[in-house]
Amino acid sequence: MADIDFDGVTKVYGDAHPAVDHLSLHIDDGEFMVLVGPSGCGKTTALRMLAGLEEISSGTLRIGGTVVNNTLPKDRDVAMVFQNYALYPHMSVAQNMGFALKIRGESKREIARKVDDAARILRLTEYLDRRPKALSGGQRQRVAMGRAIVRSPQAFLMDEPLSNLDAKLRVEMRSEIARIQRLLSVATVYVTHDQVEAMTMGDRVAVLRDGQLQQVATPQDIYDRPANEFVAGFMGSPPMNLVPCRLRPGHSRVEVLVADQSFEIPLGYADSHALPEAGADVVLGVRPEDVLIADATGANVLKVRVERVEALGSEALVHLAWGEGGAPVARDARPGSFIAKVGPRVTFSPGDVVSVQVSPEHVHFFDAGSGVSLRAGGR
Amino acid sequence: MAGFLFALPAIALVVGFIGVPIGQAVYYSFTEWNGLTSTWIGASAWTQAFHNSNLWTALQNNALLLLAVPFALGLPLLIAMLLHQRVVGWKIFRSIYFLPTAISWVVLGLVAERFFAYHGTLNSLIHAVGLSHVSTNMLGYESTALTALGITFVFTMIGTNTMLFLTGLATLDPSLEEAARIDGAGRWRIFRSITLPHLSRFIQLAFVMTVIALFSALFSLIFVMTGGGPGYATTTMEFLIYQTGFDQGAFGTAALYGIILFVLTAIVGVVQLRLIGSEE
Amino acid sequence: MTTLATPPHGPEVTPPEAPAGETPASDARRRPARVGRWVLFLVMVLIAIVMLYPFWVMIVTSLKSEAQFLSGGGFSWLSWKNLTATIPVGQEVLSSTIVCTASILIILAVGLPAGFAFAKLRFRASTVVFLIIVSAMMVPLQAILMPEFVNVTRLGLTGGYLGAIVVYAALGTPFSVFLFATYFRGVPDELIEAGIVDGLGYFGALWRLVVPIAIPAIATVTVLQFIQIWDDLLVGLLFIQNTSERPITVGLAVLAAGRTTSIPELMAGSLVSALPAMVVYLVFQRYLVKGLTMGIDR
Ligand SMILES: Nc1ncnc2c1ncn2[C@@H]1O[C@H](COP(=O)(O)OP(=O)(O)OP(=O)(O)O)[C@@H](O)[C@H]1O
Ligand SMILES: [Mg+2]
Repeated sequence: MADIDFDGVTKVYGDAHPAVDHLSLHIDDGEFMVLVGPSGCGKTTALRMLAGLEEISSGTLRIGGTVVNNTLPKDRDVAMVFQNYALYPHMSVAQNMGFALKIRGESKREIARKVDDAARILRLTEYLDRRPKALSGGQRQRVAMGRAIVRSPQAFLMDEPLSNLDAKLRVEMRSEIARIQRLLSVATVYVTHDQVEAMTMGDRVAVLRDGQLQQVATPQDIYDRPANEFVAGFMGSPPMNLVPCRLRPGHSRVEVLVADQSFEIPLGYADSHALPEAGADVVLGVRPEDVLIADATGANVLKVRVERVEALGSEALVHLAWGEGGAPVARDARPGSFIAKVGPRVTFSPGDVVSVQVSPEHVHFFDAGSGVSLRAGGR
Repeated sequence: MAGFLFALPAIALVVGFIGVPIGQAVYYSFTEWNGLTSTWIGASAWTQAFHNSNLWTALQNNALLLLAVPFALGLPLLIAMLLHQRVVGWKIFRSIYFLPTAISWVVLGLVAERFFAYHGTLNSLIHAVGLSHVSTNMLGYESTALTALGITFVFTMIGTNTMLFLTGLATLDPSLEEAARIDGAGRWRIFRSITLPHLSRFIQLAFVMTVIALFSALFSLIFVMTGGGPGYATTTMEFLIYQTGFDQGAFGTAALYGIILFVLTAIVGVVQLRLIGSEE
Repeated sequence: MTTLATPPHGPEVTPPEAPAGETPASDARRRPARVGRWVLFLVMVLIAIVMLYPFWVMIVTSLKSEAQFLSGGGFSWLSWKNLTATIPVGQEVLSSTIVCTASILIILAVGLPAGFAFAKLRFRASTVVFLIIVSAMMVPLQAILMPEFVNVTRLGLTGGYLGAIVVYAALGTPFSVFLFATYFRGVPDELIEAGIVDGLGYFGALWRLVVPIAIPAIATVTVLQFIQIWDDLLVGLLFIQNTSERPITVGLAVLAAGRTTSIPELMAGSLVSALPAMVVYLVFQRYLVKGLTMGIDR
């Protein structure tokens, strides 16, 4: 078992824009690292470089302290779980799982023992003699896992291993994979674009965009302290509300101007951010669950209009628009991009004018130009 | 790099035994050559060749045989449509129709010779319908031998082309036909507007394969049925090459004829490559 | 072939019997459909007779003696009894088998790695090289017959089987490369990558993953080439000079062209020669169809 170290690793296809751009990322031995990001951001490419299926254009890649830039895949001792499982169709489940061991020349007895062990962990024992064709999606997925774990490799690499499963199985396998990883305690790099997987499975999450690493942190940190607007907007469902506004510092509080309204934040909270001079433009970020809808007409509230209510059963999403004209002024002007998440039994209906408050301890400020978080101490 | 090594044996085999001989054939077409020694005679080899009436006869025979192509496509198309109706026992009929495909054209040529012979089946059939004073010997006369060869060719192509068209029909979505029927189309309309356009790729492929067979697969038939005769009545390009080279020992001229045949098939080949190209 | 079968549909479904007393109009509308099906069936029987004609000729003629054949009447086993004396069928069938087997083995051994390389590994200019090899499919042997014959003779291969084997292998390779490459493009890259991560080299991936998956494609190439080579005349005629190593098709053709051999015996020989290819064909029909329409039917 070993740790993994990306040190300025870059991948350029042809002479295009780099698919992975100076990626520096350390994965501890036994750690579960989730790589997330939108489609085409370079997750798969990073993983394939780690597996040795793709050449590294520049930078250094180490597994267990050894540079592996030019090591063949078979000598890296990593196991990979593919999105479509890539099970060998002409082999039984047992043969699929034992194949890598057979290639390495392990004895039949040894192979059988390891396959049996893995099958027990994965609850596949009764399917060992079947061909992959005769298995359900979830079972195939477990065989793919089994093929990885029988080898007791230095690292597990998984590329969206759950994306071909239906929603219910996905939830089941999510905790199954996390359980097995903890049991075996092998460094794991897990690629996904599903943020629930990212939030629930990883010890840490690395967010990529356009080949560049945006932030690496524990899932809660990523959620609570996003390093920039992109991470803030990417993680969380629905995503964080981002609203351009202007600051007007008062004596003991900061006044935030949103469109033609304003509200104040006690300085104590604003201290957590290194806010620029008065009059500067910033982007205010508020998670939907930190938007409180109140009937009160008191101070420090924003008057907004209810556009649409989506009841989700356990909660409801209220889409809001600012001001009298009702024109949403949220950053990218998407309709419904300012959302409050409230309890399920709401009594609002579209057209109602309501007052909202944002809980001041949960606001985020980002630089209006670069999108970088203004939180003191950075990431 | 590994990729190149894996492909190398195939490349070597194809280049060594197909590519290089093409170059050699071009070179030797300008020489007088008996297989051992060759003398360069330049362009006059070509002018001489084009003054040889045998070449023109062979080219004309090939051109006339092209008249068989519509039958070699039309009959299989008809048969495939019949099979596609799925009457009782159609699978058995299908196997029977395809069976001659497995037999060598040498054997089919032998049988065809029996069919057209003076005491053969054709005359028995003619007599059976009451024309007892008519007797044919198609392979024996210059005027009819090529027609007999063409008919045999059509018969030999039926299995393969029917197979192609039937595969094509099987890939036709039945709901298209049903939609057309609901729109009020009759059988002929459906065939014209739905079936035929759907089959066009298969018909193109069959056309190319049939023409190529016509240029380069008649050797067996000619060899056993007529030996190119009577006279030169059934000598096609490919048979002319064989005769010129191996009966007359004029290797250089035979190589030259080979180049002409190559160019003719290359024209068809370009059509075929376009076909493959448009698929990818 | 059975894979092509789709359930019957459309106008073929015979309408239920019309109850007695049905209006004449609708009766008249239905009768042609039923009559049509009978006509159709009869036409198909007729075509079947035409297509079976060669077999009928071979069987009936071979069951006559030379004298019976000329006079037209009677049957006897004489031609079959004399067959081996006139035509060394045993030796010739053996020769055909040897030439077919060896050529097909070379075609597979060369075509599988090349198809794999063109589909999955790629290398510089691989697309161009692939197109060149595929276009070699179009080159008829007759076009390059003279140089080919002289080259193979110079290599000293035209005595026995070797020359013919090499030429058949070269002629069959372009098609097999094309077919394998097309087939392998349908195999997901991940499968091979999984093998490589599991510790296989490219050769191991080819031999232990790709070849087992490619069994249907291998069957197609084998069947098509078997029929092609078994039935061929030109190569065997020119590139195998030893008469004792002649394949059966060549033996028959030479006797037939000589016009001195008894026709019933020739027909008996023809039947013997046709049998293996027919058996292969009937057993592996569906692979044949697949091969013919490869690259066009999807
Ligand atoms: N073989 C290749 N040749 C050229 N460009 C490639 C190749 N593979 C990937 N790319 C490019 O590199 C970038 C990153 O691709 P990658 O597959 O790593 O994305 P991803 O994050 O895995 O996306 P997804 O979530 O859709 O799987 C993309 O812009 C893609 O177009
Ligand atoms: Mg990906």
